[in-house]
Order: sequence, then structure tokens, then C-alpha cells
Amino acid sequence: MTDFSNLKRFLAAETGARSVDIATLALLEGGAIQQNWGVGATFSGGTLDGEQRLVVRTDAPTAVAASLTRIEEFAVLRAVHAVGARVPEPLFSCDDPGVLGAPFFVMRRLPGHATGRVITRDPGLEPHLPRLAAELGHELARVQRVRLPHRGLEFLPPDRGARGQIAGFRTYLDRHPVPRPVLEWAMRWAETHVPEPLPIVLCHRDFRTGNYLVDGAELSGVLDWEFAGWGDPDEDIGWFCCKGWRFARLDREAGGIAARDDFYRGYEAGSGRRLDPDRVRFWEIMANIRWAIVAMMQSDRFILGGEQSLARAITARRATECEFELLWLLDQDERPG
Amino acid sequence: MRDLPTGLDLLALARRLLLDEILPLLPEERRPDLRLAATSMAIAAREAANGEAPLAEIGAMLEELYGEPADPARLAGDLRKGAFETSGSRETAARAILWRLTILKLREGNPQFLAAHGIE
Repeated sequence: MTDFSNLKRFLAAETGARSVDIATLALLEGGAIQQNWGVGATFSGGTLDGEQRLVVRTDAPTAVAASLTRIEEFAVLRAVHAVGARVPEPLFSCDDPGVLGAPFFVMRRLPGHATGRVITRDPGLEPHLPRLAAELGHELARVQRVRLPHRGLEFLPPDRGARGQIAGFRTYLDRHPVPRPVLEWAMRWAETHVPEPLPIVLCHRDFRTGNYLVDGAELSGVLDWEFAGWGDPDEDIGWFCCKGWRFARLDREAGGIAARDDFYRGYEAGSGRRLDPDRVRFWEIMANIRWAIVAMMQSDRFILGGEQSLARAITARRATECEFELLWLLDQDERPG
Repeated sequence: MRDLPTGLDLLALARRLLLDEILPLLPEERRPDLRLAATSMAIAAREAANGEAPLAEIGAMLEELYGEPADPARLAGDLRKGAFETSGSRETAARAILWRLTILKLREGNPQFLAAHGIE
């Protein structure tokens, strides 16, 4: 984004400002799929009069098929913001690619950082982590107040359920050059152990350490809603606790930051629903399967697409960590060592 | 006949040079990239040192399971169908292959992850 003038005009039109001055504009870290631009702007008049810290979120050059469009993600963000979840306030969206080269939306910029390696290792944060985990559980419960039917989210496809997800994973593996016997074995277990369904809720589908902002010792907000969709309320619980998202602290089962009890306590208080460990375990198995597939997809961009990115190319190696975890969880009697 | 030192020795020296001498010179935000490059070099070195031995070991286990030469794709297909679920001994043998396959891959790809689980 090199030309500010279109963005200034857009912001002025949306807010009714006489003028908009952009002092800073920088690409923020993260965003393998989307690009997030931090914007420091001064509005003269209008609904955002004064200095504002904003984020403009656009599509990155390479998109992932499973992710929402920016306009759809904006609608999801509005829905979760409306139920009081701690998320960046969504402000405006624009589906005209003529303005910035691709559709985008604008949200308020929240303070803090989301770096998983730092959050799980920071000694100063240590005493606050159990509370943080409980708050994250509480936030997740709040997000799950968004339920069907929901005006404004009609574009979200119906929940495919665990069996539908497994069918999708198998279709992917059938086209992939490397066979994955461990994933096949785990998917067979999963399809024969699908729990009784619960009422469908809005799932974030990437609710994990690395996707929430911590400001000092406070939870600032939950980010990255591009994979959101309808699904089982325990799907995000399993994803949050999946070993792949514990960063520097594999021993702390709730996102590398706390014990499960801390996270569960917050969720149960917020939702009024007692978690069933067997259901969570099922969705943790599904999380490991899905993370393995997603990791392989990242590397496909190099293997099949020729994209010259070491960070993406090496990600498929993490699929084997997921497979180890699947064996570790499902075959406890035969654990080596 | 190749010259000495071996390519693997050179790779190891290059990796140490990057980590010990170049890394401290880099700005903080570029250090993860260099660590990633060093990790990739370590994976390549371990794979090259092992050669085809892990594949041969898995091949032998598969041949024992099937009574004839077989590849991991056949095992994957059978596991999808639940082919061994009515035979306890073959099911156990199949799971042993899964563990072994995974551990051999992690020994090359991420030995630290194995160590965190008490496995060398």
C-alpha cells in the first residue's frame, strides 16, 4: 500500500471527516494469509474526530481456500463484537478492489502483542497466566453466544460436523504425494468415536495462543477471525489445548500458559456448561489431525506451487509432531520410553 | 572419490558459523529467519547421515506385517478401512510401525520434540 490518498478519501467519506491525515502506516507482523497495516491517523471532524490507531486488513498475495473473504470476516467480527467479546472494534469495510487493490476492512488497533514464544516464557507474565487462561475461557464462552440463526452471517456454510471434516481431510490426502498412515489411523479412530452433538455455535477455528493480544498482563483482544464458522462448542476448546499451540511450554496444557482447569473454569463460568473431558479429548484429536493437514497445506505452496518461502516449506515437518501427539493420546499403553 | 572434509562436515561448520558468529550481528527481527535456516541445515544433515536406513527399517516391518513387500501407502489405505481391527496381533504390529515411523521421522526432523517426551 503505497498510495495513501485513496485510503484517506475512503476514511473521510466513511466518517464524515473534513480531512484525514495519515502519519504512520506500517505492515504489522504475522498475517500469513492476510496483511494487517497499522495506521496512525488524525481525523478532522466526523465520527472519529482526533487521533486514531487503526488496522487496515487486506488479503495477502496468497490466500487459503478455507478462509473467509475480508468482507465476511468483517461481518463475523461485528457479530462477536456485538455480543461483547473482547475483539478489535470493526469500523468499516470496502469490497471495491479499486480503492486499495483488494477488498479490506478497518478496525481499531488494540494495544499489546500476540507472540506465543514470548507470552509462554515471559517471567513477568507468569503470575498472571492462570487468570489470563480463565479470561480466555470466558471470552470463548461469550463468542459462543453467537448462534444460529444469525442475521448477517447467512453466508457461513452449514456445519459439516466431525465426519464432514474427516471426509475433507481424506480428499486432501488422496491428492497428496506423501502417504500419512498415522493420520489415517487417527481419522479412523475419530470417525468411530464421534460424540453426541451439542447445539451448534460460532467457532473461531484458530482460537489459540498467538492469536490473542496481551497488553502488560491484560487480555486485550482476540484476533484473526478468518477461519470462523459454525461448529461444535468443544472444537475451539480442543484447538486451544492442542500441543501444537503451547509454544515454549508443552507441559502447560491450556495454550502453553496454564493448566486446563484454569481455562475450563473460565469457560464453564461463562457458558454455564460443564465440560466433558471425553468430548474435549475427541476435539483435541481432531485438532491434531487438522493442524497436521494445515501444516502440510502450508508446505504445499512450495512443494506444489513453487513458492520460495523457507518458513512455509518447513511447516509440513510439524505434521509429524501432530502425528506423534495423536499416537501419544490414543495409544497410551504403547508409549515408548 | 570426493575431497575431504565431507559435505556433511562443511554443512555442520557452516551452521555453527551462522549461529555463533552471524546471528549476533543480525537485528532482532531477522534472527528467527536465521535460526530457521540453521534448523533446516540440521535436518538436511541428519537425513543425509541416515541415508535410506529409516526407510529400510520401516520396509522390513511392513514386509513382516504383510508377508510380502509393501509400502506406507498400502498401510495408510488399510488403516483408513480399519483393516486390522479384527486381528489383535496385526493391529498391534501396525501400531508398532506407526510409532517407529513417527519416531524415525522426528529423530531427523525435530529430536528436541522427542527429548521433551523422554525419547532419544
